[in-house]
Order: sequence, then C-alpha cells, then structure tokens
Amino acid sequence: MATSIPLHFLVLLPVGVGAVGYFLPRRWYHLVLLVMNLAILGLSIATFIEVRWGAQIIQHVAGWPDWIAIKLVADKYSAPLVVLTTIFFAGTFVFSTRADYTDKTFLFLFVMLESALIGVFLSGDIFNIYVLIELGMIAIAILIMYKQDKQSVYDAMLYLMMNFIAMAFMLLGIGYLYRITGVLDLEALVARLPLLDNPRAVIVPYALIMTAIALKSALFPLFSWLPRAHGAPSAPGIVSAVLSGVQVKAGVYLLVRLSAVFSPVIDATAFFMVLGFVTSVVGFLLAIAQKDIKLILAYHTVSQVGLIVMGLNLGSDVAFWGAMYHIINHALFKGLLFLTAGVIIEEYGSRSYAEIRGVLRKMPAIGIGTLAGILGITGAPFFNGSISKYFIQQGLQGDFGGIAMFLINLGTTLSFVKYSLILFGKPSIATDRPLRRDPWVAGVSLVFGIACLAGGLLGGPTVALVYGPQYSAGGALSVEKITTFVATLAIAVALYMLVVRRIGGFLAAIRQFKFNFNQVTVFLTLFFVALLGYTWWVGG
Amino acid sequence: MAFVAQLQIADLTIAIFFLGLYGAMTQRNIIKTIISVGIMDIGAISFFMLANHEPGAKPPVIPTPPEIMADPVPQALMITAIVIGVSVIAMCLAMYMRVAYRYGTADWNILIRRLEK
Repeated sequence: MATSIPLHFLVLLPVGVGAVGYFLPRRWYHLVLLVMNLAILGLSIATFIEVRWGAQIIQHVAGWPDWIAIKLVADKYSAPLVVLTTIFFAGTFVFSTRADYTDKTFLFLFVMLESALIGVFLSGDIFNIYVLIELGMIAIAILIMYKQDKQSVYDAMLYLMMNFIAMAFMLLGIGYLYRITGVLDLEALVARLPLLDNPRAVIVPYALIMTAIALKSALFPLFSWLPRAHGAPSAPGIVSAVLSGVQVKAGVYLLVRLSAVFSPVIDATAFFMVLGFVTSVVGFLLAIAQKDIKLILAYHTVSQVGLIVMGLNLGSDVAFWGAMYHIINHALFKGLLFLTAGVIIEEYGSRSYAEIRGVLRKMPAIGIGTLAGILGITGAPFFNGSISKYFIQQGLQGDFGGIAMFLINLGTTLSFVKYSLILFGKPSIATDRPLRRDPWVAGVSLVFGIACLAGGLLGGPTVALVYGPQYSAGGALSVEKITTFVATLAIAVALYMLVVRRIGGFLAAIRQFKFNFNQVTVFLTLFFVALLGYTWWVGG
Repeated sequence: MAFVAQLQIADLTIAIFFLGLYGAMTQRNIIKTIISVGIMDIGAISFFMLANHEPGAKPPVIPTPPEIMADPVPQALMITAIVIGVSVIAMCLAMYMRVAYRYGTADWNILIRRLEK
C-alpha cells in the first residue's frame, strides 16, 4: 500500500465533525460543516486522481490481515461516485447557506447520511455494506418526515418498514453466504465462490441479497417507496436532491458490484435488463399521471434508474460505461431539478404544476437552471443526457432496441413537456411582492446547469477522464440524432395536447391508486420467488 | 418422516423468517406487521448465529481452547444487527404512534383511505 490517503477519513469525517461541532450555534455549525465538506471534497478528488492514474486503494481497517479485516476499497467504480457524493453535499450546503429550514439536528442527520453513503461506496465487506445501508435508512426516514406535516409520517413509516424487510432479506442472504463460504469480504467471495462443490447452493443467497438491492434501486415492482421518500411534501429540496441524485445510485452501484461478485456462478443480466426496461416505461407512465411537481420528478427518477439498469445489463461495453456516465448525469440534472423545484414550491406556495406559471420571468436564475435540467434529462443535443443515452443506445441491437429507446425518450420528453409548462406564461402570483433574492441558491443552480451543458459538450472526453474508456460521442450530434430529438419533441407536444389533456379522469384514477403495505410486501416476495426461479432455470 | 428427522435448528430459523414474512403480507393491523417484521429480523439473526455451528462448541471466551470455540465472527456481527433491529423497530413504533393519533386507526387499508382527506 504505497498511498497515504486515509480512506476511513472520508467515511468518518462528516459524522465525526457533525458530532463534535454539535454544541456550536447553528450558524457556526453550518459554516463548520461547509468547510468540512469542502475539505472532504478535496480529499475525495485526491483519491480519485490516485485511483484513476495510479492504482486502486485498499485499506484494511485496524491493520488486520486481508479477508479478516473490514476493508475499504477505492477503485474505478467507487471513486467517481464518492467524488459525486461529496460534490453534491458541498453543493447543497452552499445552496442552503441562507435557508431557514435547517436546524442543527437536521444538519447532523444530513452529514450522517453523507457518511453512510460514502461508506457504502467505499466498503469492500458485505456486512459493512448492510450496516451502512441501515444507518443511511434511519437518517433518511427522519429527514423525510422532518417537518411532520401532511402525510409525511406515514410516508416515512412505509419507507422504513419496506426497507427494513428488504434488509432482513439481505441479512439472511449474507448469513447464508457466510455459511457456505465462511467469508464476508467481497474479494474473498469472488475467489471462493467458483470453488464451491455445488454452485447451485449460491442461488438462494443470491436471490435474497439481490431482492434487497432491487428494492434499494427501486426496480419494478418494488419502487413504490421511492416517490414517497423523494417527493415527500415535508422534505426540503436539498434532501430530495441528495436522495434522488446520489442515494438511489447507491442501490444501482451495489447492483453492479454484487453482480460482479456473483458473475462466475450466476448470470442474471437478461433478467435485470428486461426489468430495467419495464421499470423505465412504468416510471414515465406514472410520472405523466402526476400533478405534484415533486412527484413528477420522483417518478421520473424511477424511469431513469430503469434506463441505467438496462444499460448496465446490456452486455456491451459502450452501453455499460454509458450507463455509468448516465449515473453522474442523472445525479446532476435531477439534483438540479429537485433543488429548483424546492425553491419554486416555497416561492409559489403550491406544488401543483397547474398553478405555477412564469418561473422563467419571475426567477430567471432558477428558471434557467430548471430549463438546463429539462434539456439534460430529455437528451437534447449539446446536453449531457444526450451523450449517455447515445452510448446506451449503441449497445442495443436490432429494431426492438431502437424502438425501446425511442419509447423511453418519448415518455421522458412527454412528461417534461408537462413539467416545462411551469416555466412559461405570466407569473401566476403577484410580482410586486418583494422577492427573496438569494445569490447562493441562484449560483448553485447555475453551476449545476452549466455542468449539464459541459457534460454534453465534452461528453466523450468526460467519460474518458472519469472512467478511462475512449468512445467517440460525435454521433450524438449527427443530423440524424438532432432530427430524431426534434421529432420526438414534436410528437410529445402533440401527444400532450391531444391525448394527455383529454384523459384527466383516467390520470386522476392512477394518481389516487396506491398499494398498501401488505400488497407491497407481497410484491417483494413475488420478486424474490421470480428471481429465485429465474436463476434456478438459467443456471442449469 | 425421514424429512422431519433431518431438520436442524437452522431450518427452524428460516421457518421463523418466512413466518414473519407471512405476517407482514397478511396482517392488516399495523402493530402486528411491525411485530412480524421484527420476527423476520430475529429469524435472520438466529440463522446467522447458527452458521458454521458445531455441536459441543463452547462460547469464544478466553479460557476456552481455540479448537472447541464456536465461530466468533457471527456473534460479533450479530450484536450490531440486533442493535440496528431494535432501533428500527423502536422508530417504527414511535412513527405508528404519530400516525395513530393523527388518523385514529391501526389498519393499513383504512389508513390509506383517510390519508387523502
């Protein structure tokens, strides 16, 4: 171990500083945590540089030997995500400089979530991952019901119980794995799993663990917790932004990580590819039905995560790295959209897209930020979404793939045509009311917006810089692609005018329809049985 | 009956886990579902504790010779899992109290209908 970057600092610093500085007055506490976040951002970038151009960093906590120690690993998958997480938290701390919704307990829980997330990304030990997910889960449950208004306590309770059931599945799976192999270290598992006498014995723990991870990454039909948590009315914009931007990616990251661990014995890529596609379609269909702007964004996260999972499991390198790039892109534009949505809701005092008009005129910086986010997410030319979607599309073969990608793009564009209505028109609230000008809010929104644009203009180089593989993104700007985008936009606008606005009653019925806890648990069990059956059937 | 004779305690813990899952799927009472989830967690923890257990193994405390010690790893890990389980259950119950005061029901189905108003 030649390097000297202590990885455990990355995990322990946020929660440690948060605990030690808790006695400070609120304003000072915020400042201390902001400085800590900037420091940790620097540390994570140093880690990333070391990993990207040096070797991966492995650290054994407390100096125990390999396979016994709890291990922290920074490699080419985890280091970019750690940088993304720290950028996000630093950004949200700057964003909320003048906010009045952050008291000290809130800030402490927020940095605890940061620690848990960085820990999940860096951990190389499956039990450690379990513990850190549970830690993050508790922090999130309190954060989303923080103001305790409307139905937020119910949302948080449902979130907590569903995730706890999934974690019980994971614990049983880890126990099973430990019984078979005798190790919990991910690398040790990779080494030992192919040596088993009976590889079929791994099927049951695989299904148990992957069911939990699928719920964490909100795959169909296990996503019903996500809109409640991410679109919770009582959660401030920064919480929604972090949840949608980074936290759900932890699930996707674990899907990649653990699939790689099990890949010598079990191959379920086809299962997850189909599931990703279904998730994506169902996600945007539900997004179209929503009225609440935060819920539109939350269901949209489901759709985009489906797209990412589909890309990761296509079995092509271009699509894989495209999907990895889409993780970063989605974090940027969805984080941006949630941040600006929080400001818009606060300013207009409403959450319904029908009551908000003229954001662009009333709050230019927020409006431009939102517009950049929308252009990014719909895959408009020159914006980052177009690059990663282009890469994912390259991995798709045949007519079906083209149609699938077009369908997802159309759905995305359609739901954001609806969302973008809030930008235009005459401001729906009195303009003479003194506006709260907040340079920090505007600044962070614009920086994220510019990042969306930069990620598109420099798409190929960015992928090469962050992950290594060299792919040309020139095709994303070809005349054909731009024509397709314009055509998609035209079809989406036409569909919105002619169809979506006419079926309000039907959409209201979808909106009202909710599954209760028992039904959600049944879905979880069915998912487990389906995954078990599939792996049994495939691994002959 | 040969099947029954071969059963071990570890199989029983798996039965407990799925019993808890059954409860979470079927019970409409919120308290009962919280208890069911707790039972699932206990089932998983007991299963983990029994991993690699051999008959006659002694607790891993210093005077015991290492040859007859039980595997210490599950015991060390499951303390963490038990603590997490207790705190999550406690949080669920606290949240349930809020919900019960607010909506006046302990039934998931009635609760979901009252939410919209």
